[in-house]
Amino acid sequence: MTVKIRFFARFRELLGTDIVTDIPPGTMFTSLITTIARKNPAGYAAIFDENGAFHEFVILMKNGKRIDIADAAKTAIADGDEIAVFPPVAGG
Amino acid sequence: MFSQRELERYKRQMILFGEEGQERLKKAHIFIAGAGGLGSPVSIYLAVAGVGTITIVDMDVVDQSNLNRQILHFGRDIGRKKTASAEEKLRELNPDITVNAIDAKIEESNAAKLIGNADGIVDAMDNYPTRYLLNDVAIAKAIPLFHGGIRGFYGQATTIIPGTTPCLKCIFPKAPPKEVFPVVGVTPGIIGTIQANEVIKYLTGSGKLLTNRLFIWDGMEAHAEELCVERNPACEACSGMTTTKTARKKK
Repeated sequence: MTVKIRFFARFRELLGTDIVTDIPPGTMFTSLITTIARKNPAGYAAIFDENGAFHEFVILMKNGKRIDIADAAKTAIADGDEIAVFPPVAGG
Repeated sequence: MFSQRELERYKRQMILFGEEGQERLKKAHIFIAGAGGLGSPVSIYLAVAGVGTITIVDMDVVDQSNLNRQILHFGRDIGRKKTASAEEKLRELNPDITVNAIDAKIEESNAAKLIGNADGIVDAMDNYPTRYLLNDVAIAKAIPLFHGGIRGFYGQATTIIPGTTPCLKCIFPKAPPKEVFPVVGVTPGIIGTIQANEVIKYLTGSGKLLTNRLFIWDGMEAHAEELCVERNPACEACSGMTTTKTARKKK
């Protein structure tokens, strides 16, 4: 299965964006992002806390629909899905 | 009624929305929360467009390190209250409008009173706790909230019509940690200008608002895109509001 992951703002600086990757069937949202984010420790730390959970402010979307952080670990990814992960931008 | 000077000043934009649209701008009161990176372009463009009453609130003094982006303030203003600096510049930019510059920290105890019966709230803040206060007042009074946020070369904006669109808490339920954020002045320039554009469209009834959409700007790639955003039925801030389409027709 092929999926696309899009990071925004600071996450994009650290991890790039429009990452197209092949994953096995049954891959879950959290495990997919964990695998991608591990490629850069700073990127991982920006998205996940020390327990491997998403920071509570991180916004997750699948095909334009919001995924609750609480549901991400059991949200399966399907072929062709587009995943978006972004932080609120706080400055003014 | 407009003076000859006003008719001449606004001539080129009245081609777009007529004297009626200009009258709507003149009768409007816009509340701008913050006179910093976003508040500068927002207030400048709303002032020159002829928004009749602008209230701008800030608690800080001008610092040398503000001047790379806060274009309302000049070197000679360092050490002055941002509100005094802002009031002077905005009055000079357009002597035919009323500028209320209020030196205050926006807090839960004063937010509703400061905003009063404004026709729109512009979020030009630099932190989420204060943004959530603006969001709460916007919901309580059914006033549109024009959100913007920036960091580095990245920015975001959306227009919130309480009861119709997602509120700020629907989109961003949890605040990110505080930080000294990097920023180059053009980023709040771009996002603040989009916010001001939204205010002008809202007040004049022009175009299609940036509602139910989060505009995302990537200045590094020179790429803009948008994400669809939806109301959260369980939102702690706005879930009690029933859907309404009346907010915009109020004018």
